[in-house]
Amino acid sequence: MTGAAWIALFAPAAAVVLIALAGTRIPRRAAGILAAGSALVSFICSVIAFVGLLGESPEERTHFSTLWTWLSAGRLQIGAQILVDPLSVFMMLVVSGVGFLILAYATGYMHGDAEERRYHAYKALFLFSMLLLVEAGNLVLLLAGWGMVGLSSYLLINFWHHRASAVAAGKKAFIMNAFGDATFVLAIFLLIQRTGSVDFRSVLQDGVVKHGSAVAVLIALGLLGGAVAKSAQVPLHTWLPDAMEGPTPVSALIHAATMVTAGVYLIVRTHVLFELAPAIQDLAGILGAITILLAGVVALVQTDIKRVIAYSTMSQIGYMFVAVGLGAYGSGLFHLMTHAFFKALLFMAAGIVIHALSDEQDIRRMGGLGRALPLTYRAFVVGALALAAIPPFAGFFSKDSILGAAANAGTLGWILWGAGAIGAFLTALYTFRLLFIVFWGDLSPFAREHVHVKRFEGGFAMAWPVAVLTVLSVVGGWLQVPWGWSLVNDWIDPVAESAEEATGVTFTFSVVASLALALGGIWLAWRLYGRPSGAPARVRKRWPWATRTLEHKFWFDELYDRLFSAPAAGMAVALGRDVERPVFLASLGGIATGVRSASRRLSTVQTGFVREYALALAAGLAVLAIVFILVT
Amino acid sequence: MPGPGVAAYLIISVILFATGAFGVLIRRSPLIVLLALEIMLNAGNLALIAFARQTGTGSGQIFALTVMVVAAAEAVVGLGLIVAISRRHIDLDVDKLTTLRG
Repeated sequence: MTGAAWIALFAPAAAVVLIALAGTRIPRRAAGILAAGSALVSFICSVIAFVGLLGESPEERTHFSTLWTWLSAGRLQIGAQILVDPLSVFMMLVVSGVGFLILAYATGYMHGDAEERRYHAYKALFLFSMLLLVEAGNLVLLLAGWGMVGLSSYLLINFWHHRASAVAAGKKAFIMNAFGDATFVLAIFLLIQRTGSVDFRSVLQDGVVKHGSAVAVLIALGLLGGAVAKSAQVPLHTWLPDAMEGPTPVSALIHAATMVTAGVYLIVRTHVLFELAPAIQDLAGILGAITILLAGVVALVQTDIKRVIAYSTMSQIGYMFVAVGLGAYGSGLFHLMTHAFFKALLFMAAGIVIHALSDEQDIRRMGGLGRALPLTYRAFVVGALALAAIPPFAGFFSKDSILGAAANAGTLGWILWGAGAIGAFLTALYTFRLLFIVFWGDLSPFAREHVHVKRFEGGFAMAWPVAVLTVLSVVGGWLQVPWGWSLVNDWIDPVAESAEEATGVTFTFSVVASLALALGGIWLAWRLYGRPSGAPARVRKRWPWATRTLEHKFWFDELYDRLFSAPAAGMAVALGRDVERPVFLASLGGIATGVRSASRRLSTVQTGFVREYALALAAGLAVLAIVFILVT
Repeated sequence: MPGPGVAAYLIISVILFATGAFGVLIRRSPLIVLLALEIMLNAGNLALIAFARQTGTGSGQIFALTVMVVAAAEAVVGLGLIVAISRRHIDLDVDKLTTLRG
């Protein structure tokens, strides 16, 4: 079982090495097939590990496996160690399963790109890093995976490195994530200092630090900082929309389905440490709720098809943060899984649209594509219904599981529930706004001119993963049905016991209210965008200030520019003008002149007369001898 | 073994060394300079062997042997240089070989 997990981990790494070493000796298509094949191997091995765990009783489903001692410093021993338990296997299945589908899709999407092989190698590298992150058996190895997913994300965001905006977006993502990594590292340092270990076996125990003490708060805060940055939650969220500069399969895999949910995984994995600092766990939920609302309203005015979905991703991860912040770990992970299905589906459908329109991403130039791309349209409708949480699609079950848990968590729970319910309305509104603008109505002039449709609307390689995800977006939610069964919660419980969900009238109210709000959102979207009308323009005109706030994304970018970027740039310029030029650069010339004249004078000593040298030697020796005699 | 004490040997050694050093400093022919160098080396050898005999250990003698090997090698290189210089029809005079002046 652990063997299968090791193979699952190293299969993508092998693919990276093979693609890099083979270089141009293998055809471009083979590189993509190699990467996708390695993901398939990982998925099969994950299934083997899953079946192995199923055969055991729930208490025994924890297996550590250490290959070698990776770092050793005094008493601190850190092994190359993986942990196979229900949580890691759950994540492995999601990562390698959705990863395989997206890598297969990418062989079609990236076909013909100038640097296709590099792309597939990076993609396999990401998969390896992500699997390392979820399988790691101690915090330092988890951190290694954590950093490596950040690296692969950076490499893939600016994959099209000839685009200045892509390079800038990559840097932004890297820097914002580095901030989170730093707080994560500080938390690990503190843990090592307090407990002398990073092993999950010894660190994740109740009472490892004192409940509610300052240390517990600092550790949880550090971990939360890492999670917030990686998962693009307020206030470290501004990198995710810009990350859409990367190729669409990258957005689907890294910036929707897997990497950005790593923060949720981290909180569930280290939930013991968070439960020791309840204030910080509440903070996670509150940040999640703020993100739900903020990203939801910003998504209403975005005009780039991928950015709308990116804001939606932030908002949906907000739901997961609310869930794990309230201790409903099973619900959070359940939403993580269904979100991976329908969000990857939406991104990949959007990718087909972008391809069909020769890389156009502006929804204002789209319209009426439902007639040109009927299959994609249907897939997108399924994804949109799942995202808007309409039964029986996947999102309904997972979102209502979260809201049900929130309704049972006291005052704070009800506040978060309110945010989630308003979020459900916003989700439906922005999702169907996108759907109506892109697919309904008459074919737009731009689309009429540019649309070109391949067989299956994107070629077979791109069509079949979308079809599979469409099915998963329908049936994926049936794992956990209210008043029925709760397979995900039962599966995760041995690792992280979930908080109780509300029952009876409260739960019914929660479901009905959020469903009504979601349907209301769809109705409003239909009124505003279902047919060409002046309504959206009138809304903009009536609240110009609100419109401007949303279009500037609440001025977060401008604020960070003022606070951090501009002062840093100003200081660099001032230092260059006032210190470097007058002091360093000027002194360099002086030093050079001084050395040159001194050495010119010194070189006259070298006369070329051998006998003078010999005399100098003899004289020196004589002086030494006299000193020697005088001293002794 | 009876014989003159170590001081006698050292006096001879000093005289030899001074002779050699004087020769290196005042003579202009590189051949004679080399010769004087050999005398200096052998003065050192003599002192080493005298001390070796006094202390009764063999390390001084081993040093002396090593010095002989080095002296032989040095003579080969030095003579080779002299032959090379004379082949190029340059005067054999150390005071005229001043191309390395700074």
